[in-house]
Amino acid sequence: MLTLYHFVALGAILFCIGLYGAISKKNAVAVLMGIEIMLNAVNITMVGFSFFNTVKPYSTYLTGQIFAIFIITVAAAEAAVALAMIISIYRKRSTVDVGEIDMMRW
Amino acid sequence: MDLATLLFWIIAVTLVGAALMVVLLRSVVHSALALIVVFGMAAGIYLLLNAEFIAIVQILIYAGAVTILILFALMLTRTTNINRDSNPTNRLWWVAFIICLLVGAGTILAVTISPHAVAVNGNGGGQIPANISNVVRIGQLLYSPSSYSYVLPFEIASLVLLVAIVGAIVIGREEDQ
Amino acid sequence: MGLYYDSWLILFSPLFAFVVIVFGTRMWDLFSRPVKATAAQIEEAHEESDIHYMEKEGPHGEEETLEEDEDPQVPYLTMGAKVSGYVAIVIMALACLYSWMLLLNTTGVLSIAPPLPTAGVTIFSYNWFVQSGGLVSYIVAFHIDTLAIAMMTVVTSVSLLVYFYSQGYMQNSAGYARFYAYLTLFTFSMLDIVFAQNFLVIFIGWELVGLSSYLLIGFWINKAARPAEDRPSPATASIEAFIANRVGDVGFIIGIMILFANTGTFDFATLAGSGAHGVAHAFAGNLGLLTLAMILVFCGAIGKSAQFPLYVWLPSAMEGPTPVSALIHAATMVAAGVYMVARTYPLYLAAGPQALLFVAWIGAFTAIFAATVALTQYDLKRILAFSTISQLGYMFVGLGVGGSLYGPGPGMFHLFTHAFFKALLFLCAGSVLHAMHHALHRETQDMRYMGGLARFMPITAVTFLVATLAISGFPLFSGFYSKDSIIGLTFDRGDYGLYIVTLVTAGMTAFYMLRAYILTFAGKGGSFGGLWGGPYRGAAGVAGQPWGRLEGDQGVAHEQEPHESPPTMTIPLILLAIASIVAGYWFGFYGYIWPGAPALNLGDILTDWKTWVGVVVAFIGLGWAYYLYAVVGWAKVGQVVYNNPTLNFLHRVTLHRFYISELYALIIRYGVLGLSHVEAAFDTYVVDGIVNGVAAAVRGAGRDLRHVETGRVQSYMVGFFGGVALLAVLVFVLVTFVK
Repeated sequence: MLTLYHFVALGAILFCIGLYGAISKKNAVAVLMGIEIMLNAVNITMVGFSFFNTVKPYSTYLTGQIFAIFIITVAAAEAAVALAMIISIYRKRSTVDVGEIDMMRW
Repeated sequence: MDLATLLFWIIAVTLVGAALMVVLLRSVVHSALALIVVFGMAAGIYLLLNAEFIAIVQILIYAGAVTILILFALMLTRTTNINRDSNPTNRLWWVAFIICLLVGAGTILAVTISPHAVAVNGNGGGQIPANISNVVRIGQLLYSPSSYSYVLPFEIASLVLLVAIVGAIVIGREEDQ
Repeated sequence: MGLYYDSWLILFSPLFAFVVIVFGTRMWDLFSRPVKATAAQIEEAHEESDIHYMEKEGPHGEEETLEEDEDPQVPYLTMGAKVSGYVAIVIMALACLYSWMLLLNTTGVLSIAPPLPTAGVTIFSYNWFVQSGGLVSYIVAFHIDTLAIAMMTVVTSVSLLVYFYSQGYMQNSAGYARFYAYLTLFTFSMLDIVFAQNFLVIFIGWELVGLSSYLLIGFWINKAARPAEDRPSPATASIEAFIANRVGDVGFIIGIMILFANTGTFDFATLAGSGAHGVAHAFAGNLGLLTLAMILVFCGAIGKSAQFPLYVWLPSAMEGPTPVSALIHAATMVAAGVYMVARTYPLYLAAGPQALLFVAWIGAFTAIFAATVALTQYDLKRILAFSTISQLGYMFVGLGVGGSLYGPGPGMFHLFTHAFFKALLFLCAGSVLHAMHHALHRETQDMRYMGGLARFMPITAVTFLVATLAISGFPLFSGFYSKDSIIGLTFDRGDYGLYIVTLVTAGMTAFYMLRAYILTFAGKGGSFGGLWGGPYRGAAGVAGQPWGRLEGDQGVAHEQEPHESPPTMTIPLILLAIASIVAGYWFGFYGYIWPGAPALNLGDILTDWKTWVGVVVAFIGLGWAYYLYAVVGWAKVGQVVYNNPTLNFLHRVTLHRFYISELYALIIRYGVLGLSHVEAAFDTYVVDGIVNGVAAAVRGAGRDLRHVETGRVQSYMVGFFGGVALLAVLVFVLVTFVK
């Protein structure tokens, strides 16, 4: 039998993989991919909670799924803007190494 | 084990494996392709959870638009030999590893031993009335003016998309003298 | 009774004079001086005045005027300055008159007012800070009784004569008005001590006289030190005086505090009484503490009255103008210590016998010590300074042996007579120095330039001789009565050690005083067997002496003969000479200030064998001095001493005042200043180190912590999720192990 724990565990593992990718990658696009994985993990968890919710009337509201829709929307928008920024930085500095973008250092 | 569980395990393993490939492969284009698999498998998970609409939207938006976007960005920002070292790791990878381990373990632990989980077992039965599909229900929830709905977040989301479009165009345009 | 209650006028009138002078007449003086004298005016003033500026050739041949800076002169006194003098004199004359009326009334000669109660009357009282029903009450209160009347008469009379004298002595001085301002301030402070009813008020006056002394000693601001003559600058001397007083005041304050802590009051009458706040009750089981407290209170008197070991400031204080020396350092301020002990005499009686014994022995030791040093000095004022120290020692011996029968009688009587003849001695010295300054055009106090001055200054010489005889205890002069009664008392009480010491000192006193007289006014070859006139050494006369020419002596241009001083200076001398003879005849003095004390009786005095022993000793001293200096001659005596190694050694040691000043300088340099260097180092390194260290730590922390901001998003994410990871661990630990 599938329980909530399966999906939460799956979401947690995916989230951590995405986090690893976001922290330890040098290529900016790779970091973005890690972030996308994290967002997907959250989505899975949300929908999982929505599925296993039995409290009336909240279970008819499908809150988790709606949340997931909006997350997808915002993720798409953010990916667009992020990639535009990466391309713009690439034009200026000919690099996509996030370790080299450190103008805000001391 | 029944069909749902079996399907779940197959999809889950594939999903996790693909995600690992995304972060571990040396070529960034290969990582992007693995990302498509991730998105696809996620859609499978949604189907298992009776969220057909989300599954379709996932494929459309993520596997469709976002992936293409990423591939375009990779094309436009080529710096080195793309097959050998276009996806390097930085010095802090071991810190990230430890952190991720702890966070993941902590999350799983928190949920499994928490006394506050309302429902653990279930089959998603009582969610929507039997005669309408998931798409219809989500439509009702997103657009309905009279019953409980998420119309306002929907409108705001459209605003967000507008801002994102304009912003991406502004940021991404060429500076001409 | 109004006569008594209005006597606050005596106390506050000098203060009023001070305010008038400082804010009124001195301002008038300063504003009415000519702005800048032209060369012609200066030339004209030089012609007219008696003072000739010594022109000295500088190393490159230019002319320098030495003494203009040291003692600034004005060609003539402005009206404002003169009025300052008049204001002071008139007010002091009125105060003096009032005090004499009080004195004559309370002794029964006049009958203007009813007799004064034995305990005296409080004439002015102001509650400065009184905690109702509590332990603290600071009241500024003044009161008079017979002791105060006796003292105030002395103070006002001597002050009046000194003010009058200063008109002549300080004439043409640029600081004339300032001098009178300081003098009136001093008189007010001294009267504050005299009128004080409690320790607080007396302490105020105590410090104020110290201040006035400082101001007056350092009156000539720009005067330089003279190391060749072993004389410090007045600025140094004034600081020395103040600090030495202050050192004594430490003991004074501690003593007062011990008394206050145990009794809860500062008031003299209450402390001496038998009530709950009196010392008899409060220190009932703890007599040693009371004795200690009274000895500490006496330490203040040691500082103020220049006893051993705090006497060093008095010889240096001679750098001030001579009227100052006469007023402050002979007659009044140094007597404040004696007065204070007399005032608190019941407390000394209540304490153990060690307190009074301590007082007496300090006095005796100081007396003989100072007399020994005075034997060989050649600075006239310095001899008088040491003589003062020695006589003050006598006063303390007198206080020590008074006991409950005589009270402070003997000591105060000697203070009374001493004030007159010592003031006279100093004023005569001032007259001599004034004349020598005009003659030699050089400010000097050295007797080696003098000699045979009686020819030129007869009045001064006669009055000096009168004072010398008085201080030596020559029969029928005032010193005879006051000093010999003290010496007799020491024998009567069985203190044979004190007796021997005071007797020997009396002989030495006679010797050095007559030596001073002969070396200044007389000399071998004068009339009356060398007691009047004789060879005048002057500038040239130094050359024939065994010590040759003095170091730093550049010779004198335009030497003149000395001449007698103007009447403003000689009239006080004559008045004081009369007082020196007559003051001793107040036989009822003991009973006047300490009811129940027996009066002096001329018959008893003349038939007592101890008196004649004293007279014989005095005559030995006088005779030996006469022989050495009038018959043999100073030059020959000097040669004998110079050639004999032992005598030469003794001479040198006493001449340098037993090197005690040098010892103190060493102590201060290595002890006090050394300690202050240690503390300064502590302040710089530890205290500042902490403060600066904190700042440096903050700076260092900032410098090292800014590396956290790498500017890279991924390191920020590490921080972020690292925190989350830590929280996860924490949750796990808490949940599993802390049920």
